[in-house]
Amino acid sequence: MKAGVPFKLKIRVRTMILLFLCLGVASLGKLVFMQFFQYEWLTLKAEENWDREIPFSQTRGNIRDRDGELIVGNKLAPTLYFMPAQNNDVESAAATLSKALNMDEKKLIEQMSKKTFLVKLAPEGKNIELAKAIEIQSLQIPGLYTGVDYVRDYPNDDLLSRFIGFTGYDHEGLAGIEYQYNKYLTSTESTLRLFTDAKGSSLPHVNDGWEEGSDGASVELTIDLNVQQIVERALSQAMEKYEAEQAMAIAMNPKTGAILSIASFPTFHPLEYDKVSPSVYNQNLPVSMTFEPGSTFKIITLAAALEEGKVDLQKDSFFDPGYSIVEGTRLRCWQRRGHGQQTFLEVVENSCNPGFIELGQRVGRDKLASYIRDFGFGKKTGSSIAGESTGILFSEESYGPVEHATTSFGQGISVTPIQQVQAVSAAVNGGKLFQPYVVNRIYNEQTNEVIIENKPTEVRQVISEETSKTVRETLESVVANGSGRNAFRDTMRIGGKTGTAQKAVNGRYVDGQYILSFIGFAPANDPEIVVYVAIDSPKHVVQFGGVIAAPIVGEIIEDSAPFLGLKTDTDQIEKEYRWGDRIERRVPSLVGLEKNEIVMIDEPFKIEWHGTGTKIVSQIPKTDSLLSVDGTIHLYLGE
Amino acid sequence: MPKLSKKPTHVFLLTSLLITVIGYFFVYSAGSYWGKVHYEESLPFFWKQALYGTIGMFCAWIIMKFPFIHFRKFWFGAYIFSILLLFAVYIPGLGVVRNGSQSWIQLAGFSLQPAEFVKISVMGYLACILANLQNHKLKSFLGPIMVCLVPAGIIMVQPDFGSAFLLIIGAFSLLFIAGLPIRFFISIGVLGMAGLIGLIISAPYRLKRISAFLDPWSDPLNSGFQGIQSLLAIGPAGLFGHGFGQSRQKFLYLPEPQNDFIFSIIVEEMGFIGAFVLISLFILFLYTGYRLAVSAPTKVGFFAIAGLQSMIGFQIFLNIGVVIGLFPVTGVTLPFISYGGSSLLSTWLIVGLILRFSKD
Repeated sequence: MKAGVPFKLKIRVRTMILLFLCLGVASLGKLVFMQFFQYEWLTLKAEENWDREIPFSQTRGNIRDRDGELIVGNKLAPTLYFMPAQNNDVESAAATLSKALNMDEKKLIEQMSKKTFLVKLAPEGKNIELAKAIEIQSLQIPGLYTGVDYVRDYPNDDLLSRFIGFTGYDHEGLAGIEYQYNKYLTSTESTLRLFTDAKGSSLPHVNDGWEEGSDGASVELTIDLNVQQIVERALSQAMEKYEAEQAMAIAMNPKTGAILSIASFPTFHPLEYDKVSPSVYNQNLPVSMTFEPGSTFKIITLAAALEEGKVDLQKDSFFDPGYSIVEGTRLRCWQRRGHGQQTFLEVVENSCNPGFIELGQRVGRDKLASYIRDFGFGKKTGSSIAGESTGILFSEESYGPVEHATTSFGQGISVTPIQQVQAVSAAVNGGKLFQPYVVNRIYNEQTNEVIIENKPTEVRQVISEETSKTVRETLESVVANGSGRNAFRDTMRIGGKTGTAQKAVNGRYVDGQYILSFIGFAPANDPEIVVYVAIDSPKHVVQFGGVIAAPIVGEIIEDSAPFLGLKTDTDQIEKEYRWGDRIERRVPSLVGLEKNEIVMIDEPFKIEWHGTGTKIVSQIPKTDSLLSVDGTIHLYLGE
Repeated sequence: MPKLSKKPTHVFLLTSLLITVIGYFFVYSAGSYWGKVHYEESLPFFWKQALYGTIGMFCAWIIMKFPFIHFRKFWFGAYIFSILLLFAVYIPGLGVVRNGSQSWIQLAGFSLQPAEFVKISVMGYLACILANLQNHKLKSFLGPIMVCLVPAGIIMVQPDFGSAFLLIIGAFSLLFIAGLPIRFFISIGVLGMAGLIGLIISAPYRLKRISAFLDPWSDPLNSGFQGIQSLLAIGPAGLFGHGFGQSRQKFLYLPEPQNDFIFSIIVEEMGFIGAFVLISLFILFLYTGYRLAVSAPTKVGFFAIAGLQSMIGFQIFLNIGVVIGLFPVTGVTLPFISYGGSSLLSTWLIVGLILRFSKD
């Protein structure tokens, strides 16, 4: 009964079978491609497709001081979410809510009508105040939820703001510590994953999933909140008193390199960072600003000369005619008349420029340069504070005898405050250069697990313990007897040095603008703290430069002492050393000077002005008469 | 009761039954949530599918006893009648528009898609003509070609491209098997390619349109939506799938999951293994069907079986190709599996006809 299908047609039937076999294999091939090679990508896409997650914020890491005191924390500020599928009268819901949120109704309707599962009502409904959230919750709008969310809380307001920075709209750190350690501080939000169909209705018999997020890790700084408060109070008073352009301070433990305080003025509140210029919130002056150090730099020259054995401070003496001629260039002492015959100890106490040129020359051109670099100048300290500058030293080619001479007394070079603090710390701590640091540790507050821990880093031994001891004693005598007298405190052994520099902009000195600084340390026999303060461009300064910054440092050290555990010590220099009891100084010659030149003079005396005009026509007491270091000079002006 | 003694007959029938039962399971799984949401009962599709399947098998049993199966006049009548049914969709009160196509008629609570029956009658009528064909010259095939193109054109107008395409490709497969010269296919191919290349050269942006047409991701929210939802079901399923009843996409993510896209739910739940088993069963079904064709007792039987089998084969792979993203969405059901009375009924009519033609 067979039809007797011709062979030719059978071949064609087999062709069809083969074709379908190929189609089957091709289909399986495409499945293999999708289910194995595209598996991850498609799974990700599918999860996005199914994404039905309600976020619950976790807190960003705290920023604490070295004793664990809170500097930056968090406070509850709920965010509003809306599920369009759960409300069938979006317009009236929007009408009610727009009043409560005080926002445009149309915009709200637009947001609330989105065809998604969950709408974040941002920005108006993001991080609202707790009371507001409770009020809105009581409106009982179907589909409206208040989600757990936090904002940064600053219990100390603008304290430390230029150092810790701030966070932006999405709680991302945008400046300072918040930015640098954002990776650690950032939290991962917890999520409630709902299993729903495509329209958002929940599915029966399927449990919703809870995915636990984590709080951010906390950053413990080396900062001491008490010291910081003292420093900022002192700086803000100085800002007001002198109407200064800027002010900065930095305090460091010279034995470890731990920064105890770092401050820049003007300051701002981290919640209102948009009200100040980026140059304020982006710059930490003690690390970013570079300027001529002035006389504070003489400590380096002194240390080098002592270490090299080129000077005996008490036995060697020096005659200062009021100037020094180096390669035909006349380099003036600030005391035009000259300091006359003095021991090198007096050279230091008087901050005599020609005397320091002599010390620099005794050390030698290359030796001095190598000490300067060994003390950490010319490169970043490695403090890891964002925006640190390098400063500028003379290059090998341009470092001639004149440059060598000016460098000896701190002019013609440019350094940062933190470099000075690092260098002076090494000069007084026994000769060890430590790398400054600001973060003690980064740790998880719940588990106490430590993620990062910083230890003091000794970079090198720059000078010997013995040299360092002499530097300490000498600088203590500068405070006790010399130009640094205004930092003197009865109960505390303080050493230090004034620095006054004319401000340079684009490599040229600006007339009438100065940066007045002082670097001090205590206790002078075993320093626990080094404090540097600089006041940038104070207006109407008609006092000796040493009178402005030195008392601020003295005040900071005295007030901080109880928090640092510094013992008061009445066994001070006047009694201990042979040059001790002299707390009178010879009055300098000031007649003939301009009124505004006074600030460059490194003397501890107060000034009382009489008459009008710009030139000093006479002075009481007369030149070279002895005056108590706390005494006042009367200056008379005329044309 | 006809005797089913030959082995391929057994395999063919058992495979058909097995695939139908698999279909029941997945119409149950895929359609339960859709049914609950849209019809407020969870199993409307399952019970209806079971009913349609029973009716289809009963019809197949009737057909196996049917006497006039080899008569050309019978098939001519069926051909004319089914074409008239195609026009019936335009009668107000009788015709129904679904998914933008006027291709359904509704009668006493049941809806029918005349195109499904046109496909069968065209094959039967073509088989009778081809059985009497004197030679294999191109000219002799002009009549048969017209027999297929006329109803295909009418279906195209409804518009129901899927059915029209299947009718044409099924009919031309039959003509190929019947000896339509290869050079005919070659010239059609060359002409088509030339036309396509000409179109692209004259306006290169067309290439972009064609690729966008083929790529669902180019318009993920509208035309590509179903296609993408299907890929999102398949990709994450991996080797073993999420397990029976564990589909995620059937929860309204993939529209009408019990219908054209049921294969993607099967893959989602049973994984690559499930797809492999099902495709193998389809290949087995096709293979045994062709064996029944070759061993058919009459020439009409050979042509009819080969034609119906080719058409159903193309339907299977066109549907799978759409679901796995090889072809753009056409709206073709998966034989035996997809939910739908017309589809399941016509598939079982075909099974019945093939068994009937293989007998005598």
